[in-house]
Amino acid sequence: MATIARSAPPRRPVPWGRILAYTILIPAALVALTPFVWMILSSFKTAAEIRQMPPTFFPQAPTLDNYRTIFQDKDLPLAVFYKNSAIIAVANVAQVLFTSSLFGYIFAKFQFRGKQPIFWFIMATMMIPMQVTMIPGYLILTKLRLLNKLIALIIPSAIDAFGIFLFRQFALSIPNELIEAARIDGASEFRIYRSIVLQQLKPALATFGMLTFMFNWNAYLWPLIVLTEKSKRTLPIILVWYTTKNSVQEHLTLAASVLVVLPILIVFLLSQKWIVRGITLTGIK
Amino acid sequence: MAETTLSTQSAPQIVRRAGMFRGRDRAIKIFIAATVIPMVLYMAFWSLFPILWGFSLSLFEYSARRAGAGGFLGMGGANPYVGLQHYRAMLDFSSEAPKIVKQFHQSLKTTLLFAFLVVPLNLIITLPLAVMLDSIHRRLQPFFRTFFFLPIVTASVGVAIMWGFIYHPQLGLLNGILTAISGKMVAIQWLGDPHLKVLGVPVALLAVIAAYLWQDIGYNTLIFIAALQNIPQSLRDAAKVDGVNSLQMFWHVTIPLLRPTILLAAVLTMISAFQVFDIIQVMTNGGPQDQTRVLVIDIYYNAFRFQRMGWASAVAVVLFFLVLVISLIQTRLLRTEWEY
Repeated sequence: MATIARSAPPRRPVPWGRILAYTILIPAALVALTPFVWMILSSFKTAAEIRQMPPTFFPQAPTLDNYRTIFQDKDLPLAVFYKNSAIIAVANVAQVLFTSSLFGYIFAKFQFRGKQPIFWFIMATMMIPMQVTMIPGYLILTKLRLLNKLIALIIPSAIDAFGIFLFRQFALSIPNELIEAARIDGASEFRIYRSIVLQQLKPALATFGMLTFMFNWNAYLWPLIVLTEKSKRTLPIILVWYTTKNSVQEHLTLAASVLVVLPILIVFLLSQKWIVRGITLTGIK
Repeated sequence: MAETTLSTQSAPQIVRRAGMFRGRDRAIKIFIAATVIPMVLYMAFWSLFPILWGFSLSLFEYSARRAGAGGFLGMGGANPYVGLQHYRAMLDFSSEAPKIVKQFHQSLKTTLLFAFLVVPLNLIITLPLAVMLDSIHRRLQPFFRTFFFLPIVTASVGVAIMWGFIYHPQLGLLNGILTAISGKMVAIQWLGDPHLKVLGVPVALLAVIAAYLWQDIGYNTLIFIAALQNIPQSLRDAAKVDGVNSLQMFWHVTIPLLRPTILLAAVLTMISAFQVFDIIQVMTNGGPQDQTRVLVIDIYYNAFRFQRMGWASAVAVVLFFLVLVISLIQTRLLRTEWEY
């Protein structure tokens, strides 16, 4: 290469594509952010400024009154709803990760009678929209007297068909020698699952765990059906309840939305790597 | 832990080895039985049973509140078996059809309209967006990606409240911007005026679609970026050597290579669009005049507000078939995709 004589260094072509990309992406990113920014800014406006026409963008006299009102509102003990949401989301993550990894491993590495039909049944359930089973699900929970109990949002979702499918794909790539070696060393089957298989499935656990957490944290329709008693509600339902109740007090409903929506966004932002990996891997929503 | 077990094993271990494999087989059998049997029982109760019950309910006139229902699981007795009557009623397109039938027709139409608008709009936005995000400097990519990542992880209820406020006729940002641009007071009722239509599509539905897209585009963008990064650099270099410009590259290299991914993304987007509920329920509750009423809203209100669980189940079965048809088309298309 060096032998090729050049009178001038090679001229790089103007990266028009890249310039175009930036000129479109920068405004697009701002548009994507605007609803958040406007909601946050508006939550610091006074009731009078919110009702001003035409609306302002930046608060003219920023105030924390809206947040103060919400924290003093005995009708809206946010800590209770945060706790409800957290219990449901964490319990679901724990149980779904356990069952998905265990059964994914079993379907990947073991032969037993009825394996194929059971596996295909599980796969087939993924085709059934949740709306078909939500009415019988509600009736079962009614019969078991589980309505308005947080456990009603945990027990029925212990096994996730998609999780089993995903973990089976991952478990297939675990070397059989690793499992056999552990057997020869005398490790029990459950021990092999716990200390070898789980170890190998760690990246999948982190990814799928984050997706499951997000899904449960943001869930709306099913909790809306199961939790009708106010003190048992999760954040999304309580937010809608509060917004409907105070529909003409936008200064309060916006501050409430900020308090419900934003804190968890920071957690998701910090786990962005895992969530993005999960989405690109699975394509699920 | 494993090490301690090993070190405690002593000479007799070799003797035990002979019988070990039979012991192992038994241990494996016990392990499988102890895990798979509970799973099967669980799935039978929480999965198979609700599915069968869901389909059966659609053959009954069913209300959970009806007293002394009798029969099996409350089906029969006061909740009579009506066979395919609900499905037959759905086919009544006459103007004398009962209100619930008309509402079902409206919901089905709106759901299809919603899904068939959302999918192309989504792809038109996400494909170029992904290509652009992939073309900028590597170190800036995560920064820009975050803007489109945030809406995905936001609770859809929060999205609905934010956008509902943007569309507010008096206080909203949208009318505020229009007022600033036009110089005169604009107070369009984006979500509340049933007479507003664009090319026959209600404006309220378009407004809801805009909010839905805002939240949804991040998914496919991320999926496409991942697929783009799997395209071998050598292919792009070869095209560049041939003097291909960015637009030609997009049409003749990127799009054909991404076809299977695009197809899959389109199908997943469509299936989730069929099941839209949260954003619409919070923003418009199906209004104005049922113009944004979709199937899941129809199912929810019939089942849980009006106790028409049999009818609602029949609507849910229709939704199931919609999803099924789209999934089958997808498998067919993907199979032909793999053939060459």
